[in-house]
Amino acid sequence: MELKICHLYPDILNLYGDRGNIICLEKRARWRGLDVSTTGVSVGETADFTAFDLFFIGGGQDFEQAVLLRDLAAGKGKEIKAAAHDGKVFLAICGGYQILGTSYRTWDGDQFDFIGAMDIHTIGSRERMIGNFIYQCPPENSGARVVGFENHSGKTYLGPDVSPLGTVLKGHGNNGEDGSEGARSKNIFATYSHGPLLPKNPVLADFILQTAIRQKDPGFVPEPLDDLYEKLANDSMAERLLI
Amino acid sequence: MKILICLSIIACKLTRFGLRLLGRGGTDFPGKVALRLSQDVLGVMAQNVTTVIVTGTNGKTTSSRMLEQCFRAAGLDFFSNKSGANLLSGITTEFAMNSTITGRCRKKYALIECDEAAFRTVSRHLGARCVLVTNVFRDQLDRYGEITHTLESIRIGLKNSPSATICLNADDSLSASLSDTLTQPVVFYGVETEIYHERAAEVSDAPYCIRCKGEYEYDYVTYGHLGGFRCRSCGYSRPAASVAVTAVLATTPDDSRVLIRAGENTVEARINLPGGYNIYNACGTVAAAGVMGIPLETSVQALSDFECGFGRMEKFRIHDVDVRMILVKNPAGCNQVLNFLSNIETPATFVVCLNDRAADGTDISWIWDVDFEKLLDMGDRLARLYVSGVRAYDMALRFQYAGIPMEKINVIQDPIALMETATTQGDPVYIMPTYTAMLDLRDRIAKNYGFKNFWE
Repeated sequence: MELKICHLYPDILNLYGDRGNIICLEKRARWRGLDVSTTGVSVGETADFTAFDLFFIGGGQDFEQAVLLRDLAAGKGKEIKAAAHDGKVFLAICGGYQILGTSYRTWDGDQFDFIGAMDIHTIGSRERMIGNFIYQCPPENSGARVVGFENHSGKTYLGPDVSPLGTVLKGHGNNGEDGSEGARSKNIFATYSHGPLLPKNPVLADFILQTAIRQKDPGFVPEPLDDLYEKLANDSMAERLLI
Repeated sequence: MKILICLSIIACKLTRFGLRLLGRGGTDFPGKVALRLSQDVLGVMAQNVTTVIVTGTNGKTTSSRMLEQCFRAAGLDFFSNKSGANLLSGITTEFAMNSTITGRCRKKYALIECDEAAFRTVSRHLGARCVLVTNVFRDQLDRYGEITHTLESIRIGLKNSPSATICLNADDSLSASLSDTLTQPVVFYGVETEIYHERAAEVSDAPYCIRCKGEYEYDYVTYGHLGGFRCRSCGYSRPAASVAVTAVLATTPDDSRVLIRAGENTVEARINLPGGYNIYNACGTVAAAGVMGIPLETSVQALSDFECGFGRMEKFRIHDVDVRMILVKNPAGCNQVLNFLSNIETPATFVVCLNDRAADGTDISWIWDVDFEKLLDMGDRLARLYVSGVRAYDMALRFQYAGIPMEKINVIQDPIALMETATTQGDPVYIMPTYTAMLDLRDRIAKNYGFKNFWE
């Protein structure tokens, strides 16, 4: 069986280590004997989005945002929305998370319309929410205790049909106000844990992998792995944050 | 006001003296004390000094040390902020230590390495004669923010330096674009040829045009986003360089030999420091030295005599084994180190020490942008790998996912145990620490094996 990954805008949305998630998904799938292919789809490029099992969209800098919005408006935005509504599995991080939402309003009042693949919206603030953080996912979102690094000034709010990916144990999360972090809508997994989220959160990594592969093979259960350094890296950060 | 300046300088000197008695470096804190007493103290001390500032993301320290060697060879009467104290307070300390208590500097020239974010403030006080901008890469987003912020900070700093000639890297589409808003004379320097046969697979920090957001195409790439760029849409392209490396003749684990053209002259130069990125540092150095009136022959001689320190390819010998320490702090720099290391022909022991304190960048995500997979090409020449530091497990994880066999990856937290183990395996040792890990490790090496402290 082959897992087909689509990496959206790999040359723009690649802010600090996002590709660590692709490396992690590829390795953990291959260690279970699966074939994996990853296709980058960037500005001006087209692809058959129905052919992919798993989409990854990372974070970017403001500078390239105009290039990106132009490309989304030219058609890719609609295709991404359709894939998400079909139940395709998405992992969206930081800027990628915001872009799957309906809109972004800057702190001085400019409004940008985004893809609208899920009912969340973001409002810019003047303070940055930055630092290591930790959150707990409920069982239906993997049950993982996720450690990561957040760095965002946008405050994200979820609509009624969207549930948070987890509950903040330490840090800011979506908006620093309601204790929620990230979003789960259909099979979109979205989070502010930027950069290499998955390597040191193997429980979440395997859950996303499993959700993607079960679209083709409903009985799929990933074999357990040793996860020595994964656990040590996760535990050492959790200890630092929770004590 | 004059009395306040004097007090400020005296306080700075006394604080430094006290800290040294306590066996501390005292590179930063005395300057803070001085600035607390008088905000103008740095400007007063810098008044009658001809100052050169080196700034940019990567290569500041090495370029400054190279330039220092040129100054020495040319017999200039100068001082420099040697120990990497490159913020306003550290620079103030260094000026105060070289000034009389009335604020008159004892040296004619100052060679100042300046943090790229601090440059906008520091520049206001210094009235530089020459500014060398090495390059702009992504670095520590938690501290510097987006790459365009760094660029803006440098732009403001250059505006604050109206008497300076500005040396810009022609191959860097980001920092070369600073010339757009400059009214001062600009000297472009660059490398007009590829450096590596095989390069690490890198994420470009600047795929889209800084002027119009069109896509760049390249005649050649040296590394990262550096090279012969041209925007397909607006035509913004690599400016012609008046100081240029025109050919790379040879690269070894100890040095590089290149041809350098400056104006009408082309000469062969041996850069006594390995690594392709040091070819850029050498080229920028020749450009800045030229601005200061140092003859090309003198600069070239200086580059061949040059020895770097302070964790930039710094050499130690411990237990009869060669140890090189190479600071890493961001993906672009680290990829260049890997380009160098993966070309080593004999088996070697690698050590990576990853910390996440403020000076390292608290976000270590960048290790996933580094092409550590490139180390797989080395096969058994990568004999073993030790990881250490506050975030050792994250580093071990990165190597595991790069495909390095688990049995080659060892975590050793204690610095002395780490050094003892690494240097008793028989192979040369290459240590890649982040900034504070380097300070810790150098301190332990100094104490344990009898090397100098960093401020000496």
